[in-house]
Amino acid sequence: MSTSAPRALPGITIAKSAPIWRQGTPLKMKAYGQALVALAQRNPDVVCLGADLTGPTETDMFRDRIPERFFNFGVAEANVMCAASGMAREGDIPFVNTFSVFATRRSLDQVALQIAYPNVNVKLVGFMPGLTSPGGPTHQAIDDVAIMRALPNMIVVEPADGDQVADLVEAIAEHRGPVYMRIKRGELPLCIPAGTPRARLGKLQPITSGADGTILASGVMVALALEAADDLRVAGLDVGVVNAHTVKPLDRDGVLAIARTGKPLLVAENHSVIGGLGAAVAEVISEAGIALPFGRLGVRDVFSEGGTAQYLFQKYGLSTAAIRAAFEGLLPH
Amino acid sequence: MSISPRGLGLPPAALEAKARRLRRHVIRMVAPLGEGYAGQGLGCADILAALYFHEMAYRPDELDWTERDQFILSPAHYGVGLFAALAESGCMPMELMEEYGRDGSPMEIIASERLPGVEATCGSLGMGLSVALGKALALRRRRLPSRVYVVIGDGELQEGQTWEAAMAVASFKLANVCAFIDVNNMQVDGRTDSVIDMGDIAAKWRAFGWNTLSIDGNSIPQILGALHEARQETTRPTAIVATTVPGHGVSFLAGTYSHFLKLPPEAAERALAELGA
Repeated sequence: MSTSAPRALPGITIAKSAPIWRQGTPLKMKAYGQALVALAQRNPDVVCLGADLTGPTETDMFRDRIPERFFNFGVAEANVMCAASGMAREGDIPFVNTFSVFATRRSLDQVALQIAYPNVNVKLVGFMPGLTSPGGPTHQAIDDVAIMRALPNMIVVEPADGDQVADLVEAIAEHRGPVYMRIKRGELPLCIPAGTPRARLGKLQPITSGADGTILASGVMVALALEAADDLRVAGLDVGVVNAHTVKPLDRDGVLAIARTGKPLLVAENHSVIGGLGAAVAEVISEAGIALPFGRLGVRDVFSEGGTAQYLFQKYGLSTAAIRAAFEGLLPH
Repeated sequence: MSISPRGLGLPPAALEAKARRLRRHVIRMVAPLGEGYAGQGLGCADILAALYFHEMAYRPDELDWTERDQFILSPAHYGVGLFAALAESGCMPMELMEEYGRDGSPMEIIASERLPGVEATCGSLGMGLSVALGKALALRRRRLPSRVYVVIGDGELQEGQTWEAAMAVASFKLANVCAFIDVNNMQVDGRTDSVIDMGDIAAKWRAFGWNTLSIDGNSIPQILGALHEARQETTRPTAIVATTVPGHGVSFLAGTYSHFLKLPPEAAERALAELGA
């Protein structure tokens, strides 16, 4: 575990971003980069593909340790997606690493037709999802879950915790077929308490339970939901937090079990409220005919802007305080 | 000493007879539909005959044989031509051709990999060479003798992805890739050079670092000569810029620049008669 700050790339000035979680939150650096190398050292079919984002996707470690299985395709996302398909068809397990926006919007037709349709064994890893990117609308994937969820055969996952990254990397490598994993780059919080049952692909991961309701969250929102639940506890409310690391296939039984309590349920995601986790949960609950106080917290159908994550999470309603307020809004008045 | 083809190596006269048979299959498949991609199927028949009956190694009873040479048809609407080659080579039953374009059949008009023998589903243009690139990288890493052949349409060169792939295949020095650029000067909206004039196509491939050859794509001897040269190349991929005539092989269809050709029954009969059916 390391708590050192991420290094800026040479020649690139990145606005110094205050963390979105509270001071003192333990952090893990470059968990993905380490996990991918560990996987590839055990599995000779794993290959690492990139599109000129080697450092920013933590794959410099792979490049330096296993250069014969590292392929840089340059700034050409359409090409890398189809090449990954070709490699998978010959038995490789390609991990394609780029930013979330480029793995989804930029190369959607290629992903749909050469990866999802033939159901080939390609893992797409999209970095800097949602407002974790300082780069404005060009670099902020607020629609990537909606896009990828709509593709048949595609699995969609997002780790919530630095130690969870390795578990999910293992799990998606074991799954034979296409996967999209969105992941914040650099440091990730260690927010899931020791002793919590490990993540299983396709299953919700309850972290805490609460008699007064639940916050279901994904990715970086899990750490913030746990903070909000702490604040609510101080205010006398017992709210559970559940990690939806697998958005597709969504754990239908798990969602219905929460919904059937009839207690308020808030879904929090670093994504548009349209088409993401909140929408997926709403689909399951409404089709089951269950009525309960329900809310979706996410980006409210607007494009964001460039800025620090801390600023953007506050401005666009993704902060710990916003989660708390949204949950309180679901309570009977 | 020169490197020989791994395929059947049929002599030119036999290949010309095979190309005629492929053309008959194309007409027979399109005829019941009354219209279709007959022009393209006829136009690329010589290239397909050379690939399937001279150049490529494959096993009709083991289509996923690891050491096979591979063929990717990037303009997948030419599928009728590929189906003819797959049937004639024994890679699929002849009678399957009767299902071309029928509901429920894997013989889709835009060829898809629902049909075994179709290596990738390339109907969205510009993707075929990129898939070939990935295959070629993986095949080389596994030290397999397989080569990857691609047909790319000239209209498809307008897709930027084609050039992303061209750049990368050359940069990775994949001499196991051989691309035919089928210059039939035809796209949906008319003659290719009147929609977007691409100028000197061979010069572009040369500039991208490919061993580039220009031939008459309806001449079996010229196709064989180009394939031979491609096989001797050890450091660069080869682009064979093959000028073809849509509808070639049927006198009254040759040079009919129609993306989706009308083929009424009497025309189909005349065509089959000309092709010696």
